[in-house]
Amino acid sequence: MSEVVALKTQRAGPKLRIGFLRLTDSAPAIVAQEFGYFAEEGVDAELLEEPSWANIADKLAYGFLDAAVIVPPLVFAIELGLRGISQRLVVPCNISMGGNTITLTRDLAQRVRETAKQRGLPTAQALAACLAGQDQPLPLGVVHAYSTHNLLLRYWLATAGLEAGRDVRLSVVPPARAVEALQSGQIAGFCAGAPWGEIAARSGAGINVASSDDVWRNAPEKAFAVRGSWAEENPQALKGAVRALVRAAQFCDAPENASYTAALLSRQRYLGVDSHAILSSLPGGPISPDNQSRFWRGAATFPWRSHALWFLDQMARWDLIDAVDNQALAARVYRSDIYRAAVAPLNISVPLADSKSEGAHQAPWLLDALPTAIAMLPDGFCDFAIFGDVPAPASF
Amino acid sequence: MALTILLIDMDEDRARALEEKLAGSGFARVLRAQGPDLAAAVEQARPDLVIIDMALPDRDALEDIRLVSAAKPVVMFAGTDDPAFAQEAIAAGVCSYNLSGVALEDVRPIMASAIALFQRYRHVETELATAKALLNERRLIERAKAILMKDRKMSEPEAYRWLQKKAMNEARKLAQVVADFVAEEENHHRESKP
Repeated sequence: MSEVVALKTQRAGPKLRIGFLRLTDSAPAIVAQEFGYFAEEGVDAELLEEPSWANIADKLAYGFLDAAVIVPPLVFAIELGLRGISQRLVVPCNISMGGNTITLTRDLAQRVRETAKQRGLPTAQALAACLAGQDQPLPLGVVHAYSTHNLLLRYWLATAGLEAGRDVRLSVVPPARAVEALQSGQIAGFCAGAPWGEIAARSGAGINVASSDDVWRNAPEKAFAVRGSWAEENPQALKGAVRALVRAAQFCDAPENASYTAALLSRQRYLGVDSHAILSSLPGGPISPDNQSRFWRGAATFPWRSHALWFLDQMARWDLIDAVDNQALAARVYRSDIYRAAVAPLNISVPLADSKSEGAHQAPWLLDALPTAIAMLPDGFCDFAIFGDVPAPASF
Repeated sequence: MALTILLIDMDEDRARALEEKLAGSGFARVLRAQGPDLAAAVEQARPDLVIIDMALPDRDALEDIRLVSAAKPVVMFAGTDDPAFAQEAIAAGVCSYNLSGVALEDVRPIMASAIALFQRYRHVETELATAKALLNERRLIERAKAILMKDRKMSEPEAYRWLQKKAMNEARKLAQVVADFVAEEENHHRESKP
């Protein structure tokens, strides 16, 4: 086995150092590495586990990493130099959809559920009802200021009229510290990626009351970002890396592979946590099917420009960025042209447009694609909002 | 000017060494913090500079203090616009947050001390790991030779040459060949026992 891998590595092309965090949706990168997909596609990939998003951002900015599995708002923060020196990045493919949980302490979660049941309220409104009349804002944790989680949680809270700063106090709590922070009372809840909500639930410290899907169904979650200069210097290897990740996404999305993937991810060098906690957040895992990461179905790997625009729109909404030309920035970073060129040899269907109407689909739908239409999943928001009605023309 | 430095490092020895060094220099007051609520520690200590081990997940929590306090911008890596200096810090695994706009010339020697210390500790760790690996390799070679001498009646030099030849034929490192050989023989030995 080791000889086979060694041979493949010898054939591989330029070095690609990929940073990842201990999260379920690092799965496609881990599978692409372990199964030799990167090597087969001419990429000498190296996976580096990082303890924080800050490390990922700095190492991308200063050239210690060439690429990362990353939260999209942080991509824009790095690109714009919002938290250190700026670095040009491109997103040639998306990694995952969904998979986050909103987790509250047992006491609060039970009160929220009780209120929701008695008064027939959605969970966010039930939380607002429970908080009415409190004198202190409720302390909640997110994983980083420039994270999907911060944006999704704020969106969800806002639909119930809850405002950060007044009704809740948001702070950053690394997921690996969340159980401890819930138990000590530092926070009353948090929004984080899998498997950390499940780990908090298993420890008895918290209960998951909502998921990404309860805010935005099939919300984009992690993206694959590559340093602009690496992408330009290694166009063939870049396309190879995208193909390797797309193939791995297909593997990770197949329900029959869930327990295998969970066992692989649970290794010490990757997530280093109980494989059962990971399993529940994988497609085909036994628990809570509404709370799973999706990697392939519904064009999950396609870098939708409308996703980029939603992130930028929400970052501006919460004053995380100044006014920028969102359209130009989204088009510069989210590179559907690279995706299309990369996957051409794979004979998979590719969307015709670069954008879709986000939130317009409350039920499964069919997307125009070549060679055949793609079965899409719902993309509705919890408040039925619709973003971006005009689809942008496709770029090839 | 005396600067207040908040040091976040779970490695007790290294933290104490850096604390002594910085406090000894006389221009810094060093406080220590750890645990999940670092933002609170920062608010309480109001340091000019935070120095943190990059291996800790807590950096993300620190990044948020500028959003919490919204007072002054947090500058990375001692506020230097010198990429080589930042790269040295990243390679050593230490980074800093400049919270009060301390002048670069005041921060630089402090960060240089931190970088040197982190490098030295990393160096010691690597040396220790190398020494352990060597020791283990020696132990396995002795064991493999003993097996060959006992089971195949070889002399000690013959046994060593036999192992070397095996490694050469298989184009693998001696250490790997020896480790596999010992594991195999010991397995075989266990299985052949009733």
